[in-house]
Amino acid sequence: MTSQSKKGLIKRPSFSKMDRITRNVLLGFGLLSSSFIIIIAVFITIEGIIPFVTDNGGLGRVNVWSFLTGTVWLNGQTFVSTAYGVGYVVLQTLYVAFLSLLLAFPIGVMTALFIAKIAPKNIANIMRSTVELMASIPSIVFGLVGAGFFLPIIYDFGQLFGISSAGGAGTLAVVLVLALMSLPTIIALSEVSIRSVDASLEQASLALGATPTQTRFKIILLAAKNGIFSSAILAIGRSLGEATAVALVAGNARSGPNFGLFDITSTMTSMMLSGLKETTGIDFNIRFSVGLLLMVVILLTNISLNLIKRKVGNFDA
Amino acid sequence: MDPLFKIRNLNLYYGDFQALKSIDMDIPKNQVTALIGPSGCGKSTFIRCLNRMNDLIDSARVEGSIEYVGEEANGPDYNVIELRKKVGMVFQNPNPFPMSIYDNVAYGPRQQGLKDKEKLNEIVEKSLKQAALFDEVSDRLPNSAMGLSGGQQQRLCIARALAMEPDVILMDEPTSALDPIATQKIEDLINVLKEHYTIIIVTHSMQQAARISDYTAFFYMGELREIGETDQIFKAPQLKQTEDYITGRFG
Repeated sequence: MTSQSKKGLIKRPSFSKMDRITRNVLLGFGLLSSSFIIIIAVFITIEGIIPFVTDNGGLGRVNVWSFLTGTVWLNGQTFVSTAYGVGYVVLQTLYVAFLSLLLAFPIGVMTALFIAKIAPKNIANIMRSTVELMASIPSIVFGLVGAGFFLPIIYDFGQLFGISSAGGAGTLAVVLVLALMSLPTIIALSEVSIRSVDASLEQASLALGATPTQTRFKIILLAAKNGIFSSAILAIGRSLGEATAVALVAGNARSGPNFGLFDITSTMTSMMLSGLKETTGIDFNIRFSVGLLLMVVILLTNISLNLIKRKVGNFDA
Repeated sequence: MDPLFKIRNLNLYYGDFQALKSIDMDIPKNQVTALIGPSGCGKSTFIRCLNRMNDLIDSARVEGSIEYVGEEANGPDYNVIELRKKVGMVFQNPNPFPMSIYDNVAYGPRQQGLKDKEKLNEIVEKSLKQAALFDEVSDRLPNSAMGLSGGQQQRLCIARALAMEPDVILMDEPTSALDPIATQKIEDLINVLKEHYTIIIVTHSMQQAARISDYTAFFYMGELREIGETDQIFKAPQLKQTEDYITGRFG
């Protein structure tokens, strides 16, 4: 594609000068935007490998393996190269992201189905605007709602069952906040794909004597599954990458992995964020290593979800 | 013989627009009835009354009587699901579900709660054979229906309707999206199916109506202008307007 258009640039003399200029300017913008991803990747990689390849100002090299598999992160120690283990954080990050999707996905898809197929027009319009509004709320606000509203409730709820939690902070709070944040993505994208299902499929199902409910769940959701699945991929991407809101309710666990709903937790992003501005040297650089690892984790998650999507979606060929 | 459908004074409105005007019509059992007429004459709207598909359109209002096997089918209390189980439909554009060939045919019976695998296999095979598709797809039933050709997809849609063991099959211009060879196959199929089923087909092709139908109804501007045996309609139409339409002078 690219080589073709490049050829076209040179070989088509019939283009007016203005057209050529426009094309070149647009090409420039295209290259500029796509180069950002390279700049970011290179920068993060260079900064991120410093702890592993230098002696970190006399503290010694960080061992890659113990970094990747470690279960403790600088727990009350002074800076040492052996203090940084991030394995448990990776597990917790994936854990809370998938739990939040598990919670938000069914709610989101059902809401989308309601808006697209059941709600009367004016109610559907109101709900659509609400979802858009919700999508535009900054993540820090979700974090504040989590910290001010969810934490006390979770704390009291835990007390009911004799579970003491760190003021409500931990896995459950993070999952709730992330689920809330991914809902608008899931609803908006699923709703569009449900609405764009060919009306004649719906009619064919009804004409076969299927009920409207059977038609919605067995035909419409099936025909919309590609878009619905994409919404889940985007949602989990957002959950994996969310830092601010998570940091406010996670409890910043320095060791783990903790999988209990009322246990404090930490995610890769919250670890990067906490104390970022008040530190230097290895403790600063190591956060870039976590960032590099996060990009790898997100990339791998996306690839595997897309593989699943292709497997599940093989009837749309 | 009593007609299968007995339609009296049928009026249909889309909002303020009247799309069907006091239609009286009897549809005989186990015959092919073709509905012809220029675009927008109401023939598609009419067959959608027969399986109550117009219920889906909020602005549509259907007044009058549609008796199906002696029972009023246009009432609010009539069981639409039961009606649609007996009155199948094939649409203008082939619209298989995005699932396997097998699942497409088994879809209808499954929604009625049929789970027995052997019985389902039997229904799928029988329906595909009836639709003259079985030989072409027997080795790839688990494959996606979207991989079939347009003509095959349309025959799959017929098989899907046959799987419900209906009495009637409504066909809304079933060959208008198909090439001549695929059209020929569907027409041959209709000739076989009319032994056991009542077929009501909307068509834009005079030749098709003449070839496959026993009765022909000519619609114009929402009115049923003329109905009779196909031979009579094509050889000795009673209205000048019918003659003009079938000879291609307008429409």
